[in-house]
Amino acid sequence: MLRRSLIAFSIALVAVDATLAKKETAIPPAAAKQKQLALVRVNVTGQSYDYFRPWQKKAPFSKRALGAVLSKGRVLVTADLVGNQNYVELERAESGEKTAANVQVIDYEANLALLEPTEKAFLDGITPLEITPDTVVGDRLAAWQLEPTGALIATEGLVTTVQMMPYPIEVGQFLTYRVSIPMQYRENSYTVPLVKNNKLAGLLLRYDSRSQLLDAIPAPIITHFLKEAESQNYRGFPSAGFSFFPTRDPELRQFAAEKGKGGGVYVTNVEPGTPAMKAGLQVGDIVTGVGNNEIDQNGNYVDRLYGKIEFTNLLTAHAYAGDVVPFRIERNGKPMQLNVTLEHRDAKDYVSPPYNLDQPPRYFVLGGLIFQELSRQYLKEWGPNWQREAPQRLVYMDHFQSELFPQRTRRVVILSQVLPANSTIGYDDLAYLTVKKVNGKEITSLDQLAEAVKQPVEGGFIKIETEEDPKQIELDAAQVAAEAPALQENYGISSLQRLQ
Amino acid sequence: MKRLVVIVYVGFLLAPFLHAQDSTPAPPPVEPQIPGQQPGPSRSSPPGQAVVPVPVPVAPPKPNGPVQKSLVRITATAVEPDYRAPWNAGGLQRGVGAGFVISGNRILTNAHVVANSRYLTVERDGDPNKYPATVQFIANDCDLAVITVPAPDFVKNMIPLKFGGIPALESTVSAYGYPIGGERMSVTTGIVSRVDFQLYSHSSIDQHLAIQISAQINPGNSGGPVMQDAKVVGVAFQGYSGDVAQGVAYMIPTPVIKRFLQDISNGHYDEYPDLAITYAKLQNPAQRRFLGLKDDDRGVLVSSVVAAGPSDGVLRQGDVLLAIDGHPIASDANVEVEGERAQFEEVVERKFKGDSVKFDILRDKQPMTVTIKLYKPWPYSVQGHSYDVRPRYVLYGGLLFQPLNLDTLEAYRLSDLRLRHFFEYFILDQIYLQHPDVIVLSNILPDPINTYLAPYRGGIVDEVNGKKIRTLGELADAFAQAPERLVIRMIGDGPPLVLDRNKVEAARERIKTRYNVAKEQNLQERPEAAESKQANKT
Repeated sequence: MLRRSLIAFSIALVAVDATLAKKETAIPPAAAKQKQLALVRVNVTGQSYDYFRPWQKKAPFSKRALGAVLSKGRVLVTADLVGNQNYVELERAESGEKTAANVQVIDYEANLALLEPTEKAFLDGITPLEITPDTVVGDRLAAWQLEPTGALIATEGLVTTVQMMPYPIEVGQFLTYRVSIPMQYRENSYTVPLVKNNKLAGLLLRYDSRSQLLDAIPAPIITHFLKEAESQNYRGFPSAGFSFFPTRDPELRQFAAEKGKGGGVYVTNVEPGTPAMKAGLQVGDIVTGVGNNEIDQNGNYVDRLYGKIEFTNLLTAHAYAGDVVPFRIERNGKPMQLNVTLEHRDAKDYVSPPYNLDQPPRYFVLGGLIFQELSRQYLKEWGPNWQREAPQRLVYMDHFQSELFPQRTRRVVILSQVLPANSTIGYDDLAYLTVKKVNGKEITSLDQLAEAVKQPVEGGFIKIETEEDPKQIELDAAQVAAEAPALQENYGISSLQRLQ
Repeated sequence: MKRLVVIVYVGFLLAPFLHAQDSTPAPPPVEPQIPGQQPGPSRSSPPGQAVVPVPVPVAPPKPNGPVQKSLVRITATAVEPDYRAPWNAGGLQRGVGAGFVISGNRILTNAHVVANSRYLTVERDGDPNKYPATVQFIANDCDLAVITVPAPDFVKNMIPLKFGGIPALESTVSAYGYPIGGERMSVTTGIVSRVDFQLYSHSSIDQHLAIQISAQINPGNSGGPVMQDAKVVGVAFQGYSGDVAQGVAYMIPTPVIKRFLQDISNGHYDEYPDLAITYAKLQNPAQRRFLGLKDDDRGVLVSSVVAAGPSDGVLRQGDVLLAIDGHPIASDANVEVEGERAQFEEVVERKFKGDSVKFDILRDKQPMTVTIKLYKPWPYSVQGHSYDVRPRYVLYGGLLFQPLNLDTLEAYRLSDLRLRHFFEYFILDQIYLQHPDVIVLSNILPDPINTYLAPYRGGIVDEVNGKKIRTLGELADAFAQAPERLVIRMIGDGPPLVLDRNKVEAARERIKTRYNVAKEQNLQERPEAAESKQANKT
């Protein structure tokens, strides 16, 4: 049941091809001067939380990767690499010298993280990479990796597309370079830097060895991340909080009182509490422009570098949380302007949080009944095909959460499994039930559940009502309490609850 | 008794939504066809439960007498509805199964041998003739059918078989039939391995008593008698394909057969009634005390009562069922019936539409007695296979709307999360109250008027021009009385689907011609009784 998504993003080196060297391109002619390479090895030991036994962590994993050395003694890696880490170590490529490192800033959604060596002088002598933000389709980029000796391996590829794509965490979409490049599997690594003219153009996001296509986190996203990382309070990439649909269909255009062949997208949903809602955007509005950019019927604007690309790029790559972005809209055929103050939506601001890394899962054990809060991180415990393999009712609730739980501030508490014990005899087969009430009180978070169980109903029973069959479960409160130490001992449960 | 939730797909990500025709041309009349083999296990493999047994067939030696004087070989030509092009007649299929003569010059066989049939012939041992036959009664919920042969001299020299009871475990039985389509009777023997409730894969929703036997049973045995001491103790009907389990075959036991024969004795088949409740065992001591029960291992807890079922308004969530018609219900839901322990639903299984069942219950710790008048709740039919029906649909502007049911789900291999939810929780979440038909925009026949509508495919219709649409008939009416502009809202937060009536009207003939659509809608599953079985002429 282990999720091994990581494999998908791990990568690979490629031997330098003799012919490659002849081409005059992105590969630095200075490859021989290894000492100056702005690459360090990054060794990570980490442990994921075990959502099926939420009181414990899984067995440790280790990953070896590369980091791109940036100015001010910082090392850029992907968040994938250092998520759930216990210990991070930097290693000089040429000398093998090592030091511990701290994660300074991490953005799981954009899949980027900054490391900082504990030993300040560790990166001395390395000329940091500058960042080049102007990569366009047709450019050649070199993927930099290291031989065991510390020598550079560079593989060259062609940027074939620049488009908006989901990142591993799948919260929104971000600008992505797609590069056609023949890489082979090698021992390390996450985080392969892509370089143009000795400057950092992107960072490996994922690689498909069959099609030899590599997706890269592009420089504009990296720059955005770095810029915000310099402020005291890292908030993350902003969003507006509405969904939209193309207006290509003439009947839909007429319905929305759109005349002529103008552009714009049809607003299909505005989520409560989001910047779009606060700015007054409504379902049925046509968004025709963002900032100074016109939006066409498919939702694209014309980017200076890339040509047509989806307008959400204007909100993620170009804007920051807190920015006020003017939206030009048409409502019932009348043009209007709305000023949307963008915000970052934290994972905790979802009913079913899309990810939860570096933080332990919350749970509550009651006489062998294990209660948890629904989250995508929990569902991902079913592995890469979790959307088909996890309990379908829970996947449904996660997927349609904004529709099913418009109030947005709640959690869905589930009875995730039952550990057989005396107090839970006859309940052994129950699993994946959503909890409605406990002792008569509505339950919209684990904290409420923890409070509610303290007040048993008449007769000293704890009564749990579930959305699904069997609809009601009763426990003897005194028996549960008396049995707790034995339960902990039997199943090796270090603590019966974690609510923080 | 109904299976709880049906989950079907083995896992198709993107269904081939293209307008591919599934209907097969009439197969050449080559003999070794799979006899009356119906929905195999590949079509539905519920979680937890291994795999649904495939209908299979059977044949024997002499301890049971001259069985060949009773056995018949049935060849059925069936038309399988094409849910992806529902205006078409569907593909022709041919199969062979077995049957046997019972009292009243009737032939008993499996429903799946004759379901959807358009033409039936019957052969018997030592007679070169093929006799046309007609289906007199068909019970798709328990996979049994009675057919008759009009030719008067057919029954001459045929010996009707008599029924026995439930054979003892480990006793030997013999199965008779025409496995793998052979023309001569075949016999296999085995022992009775287990008596238990089983899913009947023909409908994929009904569970009844079934007897597992170790005799080799294969396609072509279906409908054949399984005998012991010269009496029929079951009808061979399903098994597993060899790669799942071997030596596991099932027969329909005589209580189910006798019930069927009794049901049809009034001239029509009424189907099994169902309590339409779910319940939980009461094995937890604390829960028992909470409910005010004695420590006597009795009672089950009512979890859900289906509003469309006969228990609605009589039973409610939280009731404890203590006894059914005077038989005490144990806390593991078993009762003793005629010396056998069985799930308490077995008592209901033996009843008929209109019969009553009496429960002793405990409600809020007070003992009560309630009576339920039984009938079959309609929503279950959505989760099972249908036979001898014409698919319902509405085609408007090239958009094909169909009600969601097991047949459409499988035909399109629908894997959409929302559709799956609406299907699986149709009953448990009482979705049928709001959406008696879950109407899906299942396909789009491309035309200039629907060029940009592809993203709407797979959506569930919620309302048209502000009016909630509950059934396919209401949708057809909304289209028939359309104002100039039709605004169709789908469930969820997608955009509205907007149509211009005049453009749709102008495109009608064009679409009908281009896609060879004979009829733009069918709102009735069962056409007038008269026209359906015309095909059987000599």
